[in-house]
Amino acid sequence: MADITSCGHAGTLESSDVLIHIEPSQDIEINLISSVEELYGDDIKALVLEVLEKMNIKAVKVDINDKGALDYVIKARLQTAILRALEDGDKPDWSLL
Amino acid sequence: MKSEIQFSQFDSTNIRRVRKIKEFLDSVELELSEDIEIYVSAKEDEQIIACGGLSGKILKCIAVAPHKRGEGLILTVMTYLLNAAYNRDRKELFLFSKPKYLSFFEECGFHLIQRYENEIMLMENTHNLQEYKDNLIKLKKDGGVIGSIVMNANPFTLGHQHLVTEAAKRSSWLHLFVVKEDASEFKFKDRIDLIKKGVAHLKNITVHEGSDYIISKATFPTYFIKDKGKVNDLHAKLDLYIYKNHLAPALGITHRFVGTEPYCKVTNNYNQNMKKILEKEEAGSKPIKVVEIPRIEFAQKAISASRVRALLKEEKYEELANIVPPTTMEFLMKEVVNGRYN
Repeated sequence: MADITSCGHAGTLESSDVLIHIEPSQDIEINLISSVEELYGDDIKALVLEVLEKMNIKAVKVDINDKGALDYVIKARLQTAILRALEDGDKPDWSLL
Repeated sequence: MKSEIQFSQFDSTNIRRVRKIKEFLDSVELELSEDIEIYVSAKEDEQIIACGGLSGKILKCIAVAPHKRGEGLILTVMTYLLNAAYNRDRKELFLFSKPKYLSFFEECGFHLIQRYENEIMLMENTHNLQEYKDNLIKLKKDGGVIGSIVMNANPFTLGHQHLVTEAAKRSSWLHLFVVKEDASEFKFKDRIDLIKKGVAHLKNITVHEGSDYIISKATFPTYFIKDKGKVNDLHAKLDLYIYKNHLAPALGITHRFVGTEPYCKVTNNYNQNMKKILEKEEAGSKPIKVVEIPRIEFAQKAISASRVRALLKEEKYEELANIVPPTTMEFLMKEVVNGRYN
């Protein structure tokens, strides 16, 4: 599994985007602020968990400030934040993602 | 044709650009804060239309030109500032602004710590204040008079010792907070160590490590450049309100003790603000009695930490021994031997 040992971030606070910050943690912790939280909060969290699982990450703290981003934007921003936090030798197998 | 908006980031060494920011801030009636390291600006047709600054873990001087408001520029400025902070591994952030912009910054993930009238507010992007208060509640003591002191003790003198001893005498329990920021001549670790040794004779006291919420660079940035006489009155008031509304209730504090301040105008002014704010009857918080304890003197001069630092510089160690407790003296002499003051 890939260990998150440092912080990473990706995205912006612009409308239809999302700003994601990740940092090391003992387990998986997701803090979500979203302009569409009532409608899509659970979906966003499920998507985050799915991305983490595919990238084989078992422990990380994810802070998400969502401005109504579409699924693939959230996915891409999260993957980028994670890649920025990983060691160079720890890159995932893209074909699986 | 729609002109393009250009965002850029630069640091405080870029004097020409900082001057332009200052002019822009003047035009929107904001003061440029001198401790900003990183600036973000948005320009259109060579004119600044928005800006923001990062100082340590504090975001401030965030402004958008009046004719450009409502276009979401602030979100881009905030993105730049947050990226600048994250890139420096600063994650737990504070933000200063005016209370009327509360909802803008809430959208950026910040929430209110304290506001002062319509003048100033402090926000944070964590829940650390609540956590801090929850921890303080565990240290609460029962009693009629729950006293408190906040001190920097840079370093601990006989004057400090007198103040603490007097306050402890008049309190059922005394909470002593030590300013945590490492922005003084003596390090936090040494300052608190000397305080603990200097108050070891008292039984009804808790010595607390300070925090971001009590005279820190977040609540009171100008305190640490007070020698320059530039303490911002609003910051002092904000700090006192955080104390009154958050920290004091957590510990059930009823009194705050301070030494009289004969020399330093800035500290004296802070003490006057303290009386005004802490003793004021207001909805939602209990007033706290402020008790000024006269400073003790040696050879007709009030004892102060700044006097100690001056004597150290002048190498007048015998005179020094008259105004600090033996525990502080021992530490200072060790420092001198180690060549810290040469």
